[in-house]
Amino acid sequence: MTWRPWLVWSAIGAVLALLYLPLAPPFLFSLLPETPAEPAPTLRWYVEMWRNPVLTGAVVTSMEAAVIVALATPLFALVAAISIRELKVPRLILGLMLLPLLVPGVSMGIAAAFFFKQIGIAPSLGTIVIVQILWALPFALLVVLTAMSTFDPVLTEAAHMSGAGRWRAFRDIELPLIWPGVSGAATFSFILSFNETIRTALVQGPLNTVQTYIWSTYKQIGLSPTLYALMTLLILLTVGLSGIAVTIRRV
Amino acid sequence: MRLEFLVRRALLLLPVAFVIAVLVLPLGFMVVVSFWKRSLLKMVPAFEVSNYINFLTGTRLSVLGRSFLVSIEATTICLLIAYPIAYYLARHARPSAARLVMLLFTIPFLVNYVIRAFSWTYLLGRTGPLNKSLIEIGIVSGPVDWLLYSDFAVLVGMISSYMPFMVFPLWISLAGIDDRLVEASSMLGARPWTTFLHVTLPLSIPGVFAAIIFAFVGCFGESAIPIILGGVGYQLIGNEITSTLDVLNYPLAAAMSSVVTAAMLALLAVWYMAFDLRSFLGKILSWRMQ
Repeated sequence: MTWRPWLVWSAIGAVLALLYLPLAPPFLFSLLPETPAEPAPTLRWYVEMWRNPVLTGAVVTSMEAAVIVALATPLFALVAAISIRELKVPRLILGLMLLPLLVPGVSMGIAAAFFFKQIGIAPSLGTIVIVQILWALPFALLVVLTAMSTFDPVLTEAAHMSGAGRWRAFRDIELPLIWPGVSGAATFSFILSFNETIRTALVQGPLNTVQTYIWSTYKQIGLSPTLYALMTLLILLTVGLSGIAVTIRRV
Repeated sequence: MRLEFLVRRALLLLPVAFVIAVLVLPLGFMVVVSFWKRSLLKMVPAFEVSNYINFLTGTRLSVLGRSFLVSIEATTICLLIAYPIAYYLARHARPSAARLVMLLFTIPFLVNYVIRAFSWTYLLGRTGPLNKSLIEIGIVSGPVDWLLYSDFAVLVGMISSYMPFMVFPLWISLAGIDDRLVEASSMLGARPWTTFLHVTLPLSIPGVFAAIIFAFVGCFGESAIPIILGGVGYQLIGNEITSTLDVLNYPLAAAMSSVVTAAMLALLAVWYMAFDLRSFLGKILSWRMQ
């Protein structure tokens, strides 16, 4: 096969353009005034949305959940990666850890909701966090595993020969070297948590996250400029955080 | 020493215990609930197959069939787009360029697909930019109706949701192929296309299967896209399950969800038996092989 690079790159560019296209309309609609008589474009929805207590509550819940998920998931992923390396059944552990990726979101949400109800755990921030950690875990694990694959085990041996114990060798030698992977997994988990709808909606009870707020408002009364303003902020946050994560990893 | 060993083991098994406790056990319990009875607003323990009969005899069976069809279509199109891209990035592009492009694929994937689906309703709508430009160019005289609230719109939504992430498993398996095998093939006189069909493609199958499972599971269980882009009355099994939940028929929802999950786990089992995860993640797990 002869590849004409410019042809291939323009095809890839076209696919990417189609993927980025849906990120623009929410911004356009967030600028619309309430009635055609008012001046357009307007930024009033970006101010007014904060007067809605349900929405601000949802923002707080989302933030709390995302921070906990971003702290806990990389830790779980790190331990899981080490257990894949050290225990005798790497295939089984890896398969189990990737399972959340391969169970449909609705089924995962329903199963968790029924189970929590049965064992008497009321819907709360805790249940939201558990489901979101589960969802982010396979992604975080893949990021951490990728980072660990670049680590040369000879360095650990050297540490052992210099008298360092297992923990010391891990903490002082390996962890600093794979740290970009761990912090990358944290960013990834934060973003995944902030953008999750279906699983969260089934276990949130009386609470709302930003995403489930958008979803339930859409289903009950439809979309409004306020919702579009909110979506625009979420898109900016996601794109911005991804950009920052990449820049940090490059440095 | 013995105690330290046990503590270490327990710590290492924590993530496994977590996944078993909050995913495997709940899925098992969901299957149990699917045999329960519904009594007013509550679920009552019982052993009834009526939920499954209800599911598999009524109109819901055709919904299941349509879900299969739509998911197969979406997954096929996803693969046809993602494979050539992953192939080029892994085998022909410079590594730095490949990394950048893969990153560009990640970002839209991370933005909630529900929000992106809302955008498609505008982009594909009667007065949207696509219809406007089609009319302007003169390809059609009036707005094309089947662009939105149709199978087409649902496919667009699904493909843009799941295709970006498929590039990764495909790239991992393609980048992991030993260059010497490809060189050997061409030195033995095989044309590039023959080499691709007989060497590269077979070696990338574990990644292809991983990508297929990921996209198929996503599309098959999808519950938001059919509501947003399918329009009123467009039913796929995912939103059928959520609407069954809305009318509080939990055992029936559990039964439908169990069937869906079982189908997915069967796919996963085939993959797990047929391929060594380590050969797929070979590059990532290379320290395991040493």
